[in-house]
Amino acid sequence: MKRRKLLQMLAAGSAFYGPWKVHHAWAQAGQKKPLVIGLTMDASGQFGASGTSERMGALQAIREFNEKGGVLGRPIEALHIDTETTPATGSRVAERMVTRNEVAFLIGGLNSGVANAIGQVAQKYGIVYFNSNSSSPTESGRDCKRVKFVWDGNGTNFAQAIVKNAIKVNGGNWALLTNDYIWGHNTSKATRELVVKNGGRVVDELMVPQGTRDFSTFLLKLQQMKPQVVAAAVGGDDFRAMRQQVLQTKLDRQFAWVNNQQDWEDVYGLGAEAAFGVFGTTWYYRFDLPGVKEFVEKYKKTYPGMQVKNPGNTYYNGYMATRELLRCVEEAGSTNNIAIIKKLEGRKMSARDRMQHHDAWIDPATHQVQQTIYMATYNDKPAEPDDIFKILSQVPPAEIVDPDAPKACKMASYQETPSYEQ
Amino acid sequence: MTELAANLTPHLLNGVSLGLMFALIALGFMLIVGVMEVINLAHGSLFALGAYFAVFIMGLNLGVGIEARYALAFVLAPLGVALVGMLLEVTMRRTYGKDPLYGLLLTFGAALVLEEMIRLAWGSGEKQLAVPPELSGAMLLGGFIYSKYRLYASGAAVSLILLLWLFLEKTPYGAMIKAGAHDSEMVRALGINLTRLRLFVFALGAALAALAGIVLAPIWGVRPHVGVDAVVPAFLIIVLGGIGSFWGAVLAGILVGIVVAVTGAYASEWSLLSMYLLLIALVTWRARGLFGKKTVLEN
Repeated sequence: MKRRKLLQMLAAGSAFYGPWKVHHAWAQAGQKKPLVIGLTMDASGQFGASGTSERMGALQAIREFNEKGGVLGRPIEALHIDTETTPATGSRVAERMVTRNEVAFLIGGLNSGVANAIGQVAQKYGIVYFNSNSSSPTESGRDCKRVKFVWDGNGTNFAQAIVKNAIKVNGGNWALLTNDYIWGHNTSKATRELVVKNGGRVVDELMVPQGTRDFSTFLLKLQQMKPQVVAAAVGGDDFRAMRQQVLQTKLDRQFAWVNNQQDWEDVYGLGAEAAFGVFGTTWYYRFDLPGVKEFVEKYKKTYPGMQVKNPGNTYYNGYMATRELLRCVEEAGSTNNIAIIKKLEGRKMSARDRMQHHDAWIDPATHQVQQTIYMATYNDKPAEPDDIFKILSQVPPAEIVDPDAPKACKMASYQETPSYEQ
Repeated sequence: MTELAANLTPHLLNGVSLGLMFALIALGFMLIVGVMEVINLAHGSLFALGAYFAVFIMGLNLGVGIEARYALAFVLAPLGVALVGMLLEVTMRRTYGKDPLYGLLLTFGAALVLEEMIRLAWGSGEKQLAVPPELSGAMLLGGFIYSKYRLYASGAAVSLILLLWLFLEKTPYGAMIKAGAHDSEMVRALGINLTRLRLFVFALGAALAALAGIVLAPIWGVRPHVGVDAVVPAFLIIVLGGIGSFWGAVLAGILVGIVVAVTGAYASEWSLLSMYLLLIALVTWRARGLFGKKTVLEN
């Protein structure tokens, strides 16, 4: 090789290596390439408050792994972009995270429309995606994906746990109040089927458009309908506004209310009375179970001065999903998507490890975490100001499995799923 | 027929009450657009700021009862927001006489800044504005349980609308504002300090946004982004009513309220969309809105 050619090659090499070395902090430190996790969580819009909590949960899990030296010897970095409770934004954010930021995994989802949009992008590239908090039955049914894992209980699980008993106690004439988007539709559909199956009748269903702030029309209509039970599948800020207005009119005492699932952030700060009716949840910060106290203390220590002083179910799901994903990476010894998916499918998680009352598992046919569902109502004897839930009962996961999900779920095979590794 | 009327009447009345609140939201917006020809996209943030100021004042330990604190919040919070409005107007001066897009962009930026400042000061979680016990609870009205607070809010909206109308129609300053909206150059030629007039109008518009925020806070809740929920209907109502028309805005507010309420009762999934459909229908038929003045182009 001529001297001139060698010098040209060296110059070209330096031109590439110089900026590359400068721009990658990990390269400067001589570390392994960081594992970047894309957090596709709402920071604004209808589920902004819950999205913030699930992000804090995910960050806590990442922090704990980094304190132990990261995963596979790689430090973990989190990249968050607001998905704005808007499916189009969710899709755009996911696409950008995969193509430009080269994230290894995606975690996050409150609104089922957003989660579905992210899931489609994830499947296109083969990137493993954890839907941490959105609970439309379609997420693990019709819209299931090989790369997607659904971490929350879904509308059918909650309805299964509540409906039968509510008919027995309160009567069979039901009205449905449904948020007009995918989660609301499918949750109310599941409720309707269970009401009819258990001998009840749905007198009417009122669709509540997303972004509704004034519920007076719906509350008047409910009074005209005179149902015995009102089953509400309304979420986020809409739900908070509705709760306040129901309390103002004292309609919480006129009908029995069944509020499918109650996210902690949707009721926090409204006062114990705002948690009226019977509702479902997956976790409560005052469970008398091993590890709960320490988990809550760690939250308070990591996030001092937060308005939400104790963690709720969305924080819990964000944490649990991220921790389990990182464990799987460690176990698989790789970030290869298929290796991780195989670790997750059918995975068993002990009740003790998850701070719940029954063991949980990931259904290999639907990719949904099957977990304990708790029935709760407002706490008339709170031990402290945040003690707003009274847990009425706990239902083991085997009793509330969504029977339709495996039939509706048609996943791409491993071969059809693009290989992805970062 | 009687049964239909009996079913429909409560929704019509509820629609009027809802419409009065919509009109209240739009008043300050209408004033600023009418006089200054500025589409103030920060109107929603000023609405939210009013609610937050009120929450702050209600939380102070002043050694007085909740009624006195509420009254104080009702006066002081709009004054505080008026000051913020004045500051905003000062920053806007360089945009006067230029492409309206500059003003639009500036107020959009101001809206983002105000929302983030609210987040920094009060956090991103929900706040509640406590109201005196006399205003809370429910009452039976025509066989229906109705919130006392909603009746109070409708009453407050009517009072504020009338007070503003009296101010604009019966005081010299109101005459100057109307003249400023009609022909600002002539107003200046008559020796009226237009700079001060604009400052005052912006302050008044901001105070009205704050008042609407305080009145609606116990119904809508108080969140940093609650202003977004206010600015869209406000914009829609002034276009519907005819830009710059006082009674046009009031009537359009009531019309929107009735349409939303009735659609909510009989085709609930269309309730929010119905106001936009109404706008499309009306603007197609009458581009200048209900009470908008004819432009030269239409002659």
